[in-house]
Amino acid sequence: MAVSTTDETSAGLTAPSGTAISLRGLSKHFGEVRAVDDVDLDIADGEFFSMLGPSGSGKTTVLRLVAGFEQATSGTIELAGEDVTSRAPFDRDVNTVFQDYALFPHMSVLDNVAYGLRVRGVKKSVRRRQAEEALGTVQLAHLADRSPGQLSGGQRQRVALARSIVVQPKVLLLDEPLGALDLKLREQMQVELKQLQRNLGITFVFVTHDQEEALTLSDRVAVFSEGKIVQLGTPQEIYETPTSEYVASFVGTSNIFDSATSQRLLGRDGTHALRPEKISISASGTSTRSGGAGVVRAEGVISESIYLGTGHRIHVLLDDGTRLVVLEQSTGAQAQREQRGEKVVASWSLDDLVPLT
Amino acid sequence: MILGAGVKRILATLTALTLLVMYLPLMLVVLNSFNTSRSFAWPPSGLTLEWWRRAWSSDGAREAVMTSVQVALASTAIALVLGTLMSLALQRYSFFGKNSVNLLVILPIALPGIVTGIALNNAFRGVMGIQLGLLTVIVAHATFCIVTVFNNVQARLRRMGGSFEEASADLGAGVWTTFRLVTFPQLRSALLAGGLLAFALSFDEIIVTTFTAGAGTTTLPIWILNNLFRPNQAPIVNVVAVVLILLSIVPIWIAQKISGDAEGVR
Repeated sequence: MAVSTTDETSAGLTAPSGTAISLRGLSKHFGEVRAVDDVDLDIADGEFFSMLGPSGSGKTTVLRLVAGFEQATSGTIELAGEDVTSRAPFDRDVNTVFQDYALFPHMSVLDNVAYGLRVRGVKKSVRRRQAEEALGTVQLAHLADRSPGQLSGGQRQRVALARSIVVQPKVLLLDEPLGALDLKLREQMQVELKQLQRNLGITFVFVTHDQEEALTLSDRVAVFSEGKIVQLGTPQEIYETPTSEYVASFVGTSNIFDSATSQRLLGRDGTHALRPEKISISASGTSTRSGGAGVVRAEGVISESIYLGTGHRIHVLLDDGTRLVVLEQSTGAQAQREQRGEKVVASWSLDDLVPLT
Repeated sequence: MILGAGVKRILATLTALTLLVMYLPLMLVVLNSFNTSRSFAWPPSGLTLEWWRRAWSSDGAREAVMTSVQVALASTAIALVLGTLMSLALQRYSFFGKNSVNLLVILPIALPGIVTGIALNNAFRGVMGIQLGLLTVIVAHATFCIVTVFNNVQARLRRMGGSFEEASADLGAGVWTTFRLVTFPQLRSALLAGGLLAFALSFDEIIVTTFTAGAGTTTLPIWILNNLFRPNQAPIVNVVAVVLILLSIVPIWIAQKISGDAEGVR
């Protein structure tokens, strides 16, 4: 789990390849529950790093440990090479954007944003100007005098962001910051977050249970389960080559072939995963493509066909009893071809199979 | 739920009766403070301000009011500080014996006043060897005043959640700065409501006071009890009672308004 310099072409900045956060053997127990269980992790400077997992997987606890809201049961936390394991939150050069935003209700938007500067003893005129600048960065300069209660969810989200970046932290921790927003707004904020991170060049550690969000935003993703990191890699690695059944089914949808099915269908040992979009189906008998080398063909019946707008999700019951999920993109050519009960041939390339451990 | 006309009428009558039983005696006290008859004859033979004038110049009554105000202010002040600290400890931190402490803090308000009174009396005189006086009354009152502050503040803290304080610490504020800039401003109305309730509780307390006040310390309720059956003083007692009614209604009304407003804002 060494520091991997990500080879993302889009990252138009040359981040110094130092280590922003380094966790060693980090554990947090709540009574009998091991919320975080012996986690080792290095996050590079300027990286957009996501921690992905269902609720209760320990990702938020890791974030709270890094921020200093929880005391580690064991292990160490280093920020920029400095051990901060037992330091108070106000003694750590990280800032958090909270899931519920935690804007102070008795202060105006501007005072909220200026708060971090105020407690650092920055002069009133200076902190006012810097807070206004930060509000400008999130396009909310015109709402400076409002109170947080008068803002919409998306606006509060931006104020919370502005409040965190105004103190210029080296690392920004984001705890499901988009969870409370509706879909349209969330997609818009994702783009803005990514741009903000690129412009500021600071490390983002992003906690989410939304796999799509993690894949689209991040340089690297850590998938959490039961307090442990089960896989760490670039979004592409996580999606294309999941190493476990857990990751294969949590990140996107997968057809999982257990060892018996693999043996029967593929003639291979072990468990395998296959993404729904890697399978193509054609009407039985009218197959245009004869199965070449390395192509698996299996006959079955369509048990369900769901229209998705961008395509169809088709459930196929193969003759041997295996259930398949197939994702077919709309190309316009095929007009309402797939019907329930229709006999079809499903085919896929052996190369697209991902062996799981 | 829709009620029939008959049910509505019965409920309205019951409500009116209840309110009448509760408030008619109070109005009688107000009226009697202007009654010319020394024995409160009914109907009043005439109206006079004589009792109000005499009450105003009565040294005993004035001193009693002053004593009560002193006691109420001091015990409320103690309650505000200790009650707030305790609710912060119990709401924001976890420690061994937390639940027991929680129960022990609330208990004094449920305990019969007579028990508290005897217990404190014994402790002050017997064990600690302290002379009963103003100080002992203040301490005794503080024991139950703390509860009203504690309850108000704790309810507010629970509703606030912990993330404001975490956000403040996250942005670089130390513990004291966080309390001053974030926690306290949000507790203000809860403190005011709790403090006013505590003041009102202390101001008309008589049982615990009886056991913890020395001979020289006369709070208003005790003065009233002492003077009610003296024919000379009885009309003045009525006047003092009216003043007390006003003094206790106002804080309660303000407290209710504040907590009502705070409810609406959030």
